[in-house]
Amino acid sequence: MQKIIAKPSVIRHLNKLRWLVLATVFSILVLLPFLHLYQTYAAAHAYDLLYPHEKLIYDSMEWLTSPFVSDAEQDLDAIKGTTWSGSLFGLQLSDPLAVLSQISASLSIYWPFLLTALIPLAVTVVLGRVFCGWICPATFIYELNDTLAGWLRRAGVPLGDKEFDKRLKYLVLAVGLLVSMLLGSIVTAAIYPPAIIGRELYYAIAQGGFGVGAVFFILTILFDLLVARRGFCRYVCPGGALYSLLGRYRLLRIQRIVSKCNDCQKCNVVCEFGLDPLRDGFGQECNNCTACIAVCPTDALEFKIAVKDIPYQGPGHLGHDYRRAQKDEAES
Amino acid sequence: MFIQALIGTALIQSWPQVQAANQPSFRFVRPPGSLAEDDFLSKCIHCGKCGETCPNRCIKYLGMENGIESLDTPYIVPREQACILCMKCGDVCPTGAIESIPREAEPILEKVCMGKARVDRSLCLSWQGKTCGVCYRACPLQDVAIRIGRLEQPHVLEQCVGCGLCERSCIQIPQAIRIIPSHSRRQKV
Repeated sequence: MQKIIAKPSVIRHLNKLRWLVLATVFSILVLLPFLHLYQTYAAAHAYDLLYPHEKLIYDSMEWLTSPFVSDAEQDLDAIKGTTWSGSLFGLQLSDPLAVLSQISASLSIYWPFLLTALIPLAVTVVLGRVFCGWICPATFIYELNDTLAGWLRRAGVPLGDKEFDKRLKYLVLAVGLLVSMLLGSIVTAAIYPPAIIGRELYYAIAQGGFGVGAVFFILTILFDLLVARRGFCRYVCPGGALYSLLGRYRLLRIQRIVSKCNDCQKCNVVCEFGLDPLRDGFGQECNNCTACIAVCPTDALEFKIAVKDIPYQGPGHLGHDYRRAQKDEAES
Repeated sequence: MFIQALIGTALIQSWPQVQAANQPSFRFVRPPGSLAEDDFLSKCIHCGKCGETCPNRCIKYLGMENGIESLDTPYIVPREQACILCMKCGDVCPTGAIESIPREAEPILEKVCMGKARVDRSLCLSWQGKTCGVCYRACPLQDVAIRIGRLEQPHVLEQCVGCGLCERSCIQIPQAIRIIPSHSRRQKV
């Protein structure tokens, strides 16, 4: 009997790094409205007139930022916005979907805005749907929600696990752009969770209450929980659709090394997007989230530089099917 | 409790009739430097950066009360909190929906057109013979946008950009001076 010992490798820990990045992005989105409030309090120069809870915000934000900024009112303008469109120390970054929607709504190109989407665009073309897995603040919530769903299932709560056609989201993208064009307003922003989360967190903290988007977002969470696992990202999200299309010929891909695979199916179970790593079925929707790499007991999944997935390589060489086939061949 | 409050507020906000009932005459202006309404809506990506930068916290965001087109777009109600013409929102706007305008009198007068103030003489204290002049003193563009005559009676001039500081500061209830929103750019003569 061949002994399987997983070699310690660095890429197995990328999934933890990914979680760290997701949590950081989300906490920055929570922090920014507080920083904005602190800025306005600082600009008003009236500390004595603040309510106790406002003083608390002022003091804690001052404590947090005083090592880095000298003039809170001006210097804290360095980080503004959300993942939908934000500025980071003078660098403006925007979601390619925002640019595409603006072009379709106004039927003209506003070049300064188009340029802000170039870096995300280049990253997507090279690394694929990497925003979805590594940055998107909605993914953070959806993955926690998925973990919760796992616990509920284990406790015996019947939850839906329906499957739809994954191409539905391309239709949503097309319809969203078409409606944007007809209404002359960017409606994709209202159905795109990362844009909603950034906005709603800001509304809730700095504007005194959640807006309409929060209801939509809660509906998507319930959809994920009760109807289809990670259903929104898989079947509906217009941004995910755009990124999938852009990342179709990405350079960095996860590939299965058939000689190490033992057909354990853990990768298929853990895959958030319902892909099929076990049969080399990654496709354009893989977001390089590395969850399958982290869970693989034999280190059979690795990053490769290639423009195309390799076709199905047959059962893994460490699995029963392959060994039985080998035995049959030897006997005959 | 939290979830209930959340769903409650959101449902109420998303219900146009409720909103209309709460605010029978909803009158707002767009942030300074905004394009004409149609252009503005087709450019704005609803990112919320203008509000997040506003040091005066006057920029708020629409729910469903003005239709799905203007969901999550910025607005200012001058009586609640008026614009101080700091022009930071135009600087951060990535989309060109709010134009970047330097904070100087000349370009502001030329390009900003949020609305125009109008005095209701039957409500105005000065026009009723009780010398007031608060609106004139609140105006950041004194003698260019607003002028006072006998008994501090205000006269709004052509150059008014509609920032709303006069409406915000009016001591009458209801206010005697109001911004009539233009939702369009200043037409150059």
